[in-house]
Amino acid sequence: MPTAKEQITTTILAVILVLLFFGILFLVMLSYFNFRRRQNAKEKKEMQAAFEEQLHQARLEIQHQTLTHLAQEIHDNVGQILSLAKIQLSSFKEGEAIDFPLLDDARENVARSLQDLRSLSKGLHAGHIRSFNIRQAVDEEVQRISRTGTVLVSVTSEGDEHIFGDDKQLILFRIIQECLNNCLKHAGATNINIGFNWFPTQLRVRVRDDGQGFDAEKTLRLSSGLGLQSILNRARVTGGFGDIRSRPGEGTVVTVQIPYE
Amino acid sequence: MHLSYYQYFQMFSLLMALVCRRGLNYFGLGILIPILVLDNVTETLGNNYKLFTSLFQNHVIFNVYILLSTPLFFYLFASMLGGNMAERRRLRWIALAAELLLLFNFCFVQGWAEFNTFSALFISFINIILSCIVLARLTMRKDDESSLLHDPSFWINSLILLFNLVQLLILGLYKYIVTNHLGISNQNLYLAIMPAANAVYYAGLSGALLLCQLQKNK
Repeated sequence: MPTAKEQITTTILAVILVLLFFGILFLVMLSYFNFRRRQNAKEKKEMQAAFEEQLHQARLEIQHQTLTHLAQEIHDNVGQILSLAKIQLSSFKEGEAIDFPLLDDARENVARSLQDLRSLSKGLHAGHIRSFNIRQAVDEEVQRISRTGTVLVSVTSEGDEHIFGDDKQLILFRIIQECLNNCLKHAGATNINIGFNWFPTQLRVRVRDDGQGFDAEKTLRLSSGLGLQSILNRARVTGGFGDIRSRPGEGTVVTVQIPYE
Repeated sequence: MHLSYYQYFQMFSLLMALVCRRGLNYFGLGILIPILVLDNVTETLGNNYKLFTSLFQNHVIFNVYILLSTPLFFYLFASMLGGNMAERRRLRWIALAAELLLLFNFCFVQGWAEFNTFSALFISFINIILSCIVLARLTMRKDDESSLLHDPSFWINSLILLFNLVQLLILGLYKYIVTNHLGISNQNLYLAIMPAANAVYYAGLSGALLLCQLQKNK
């Protein structure tokens, strides 16, 4: 049997151990908390870097697209009209009677070219993407696609439109463009619907087509689904998320949800 | 001259502090050098007081140590807290009030000849509170890049916290332990635990001091 003194000594030692245990536990908890905090900060930083990269990429793509569009417009439209004007003006010879209707026609062609160049220049104005809101940018894109006459594109919108970051709008616009390009290139769709749902804190955009569809899960796993992956990645870097649903023969639905803040 | 085993750890930590003084100054912990000098002198005198006098016990040496080390520890905590001027001013007032209380106990309550257990308990309590505040602040600081484990202040405060938790209990029961001859295998409980706690404390402190220099060299 332990004596009273031994019992007290043991109790004191036990209390010391308990105190040390709680002290060490406190320190471990602080270290863990600090570790979690640093992890979160690191993840946030990585997300920010990914966002910046995607934004940069989106800007480059839009720049490239704009230049392609510009080259096409100059070649197919302005270039053709000016060529016609040149031919018309070449028919005038010194000393011959002036064909005034032809001259008027040539003048009109030059004026049309100037008008077209002006609208091109307006469209190329630095930051023109920024001056549009996402709805306007999408409407223009839809008009451009509709002009091809191969597909019917409709846009619907529900809820009150919100203003949110230009950078996020730009990335969202690129996502929608990517979806539309996929519909045109691969889906063989005849109808596309772009639905905007403006919720109080976030925007949901749903691009739905009636094309041939595909096995979404399988394609996302394979390297062939890089375009689709990029849609999901871009949605993620904006702080939102993306979802792609498709089955062979059942069309495709791409949903992107992006917070305003 | 008698030297207890933990004093070798103590001397080693003083040596480390002198070797790593640039690292210590870099982290604003230069005050640790006078603290360690005071620790070493106190322990050496305390353990060998019979060489100098037989008129009184060594309690007076430790009582004076408490009085002298308190402002130094407050300065150390102020350096580690790194607060604004108002906060430093508040800490200075608390340090002054604490010092006056200790002085009052030294002069009028327990007196200089008896070991000032109230003062020791009070200082242990203050150290625990301040080290917890510093640790919490280190954890919540805005600099998210550096790990807490790479910060010498974290280790120094952890050691102060753990050492004072042990000291709080042992010094709180000091008179009871001595009067009732509580001990482990014929050794006084105080003399069995405190040297071991000191040895761990100073060994850890040496590591933290080395870390100061290593972090500075980075």
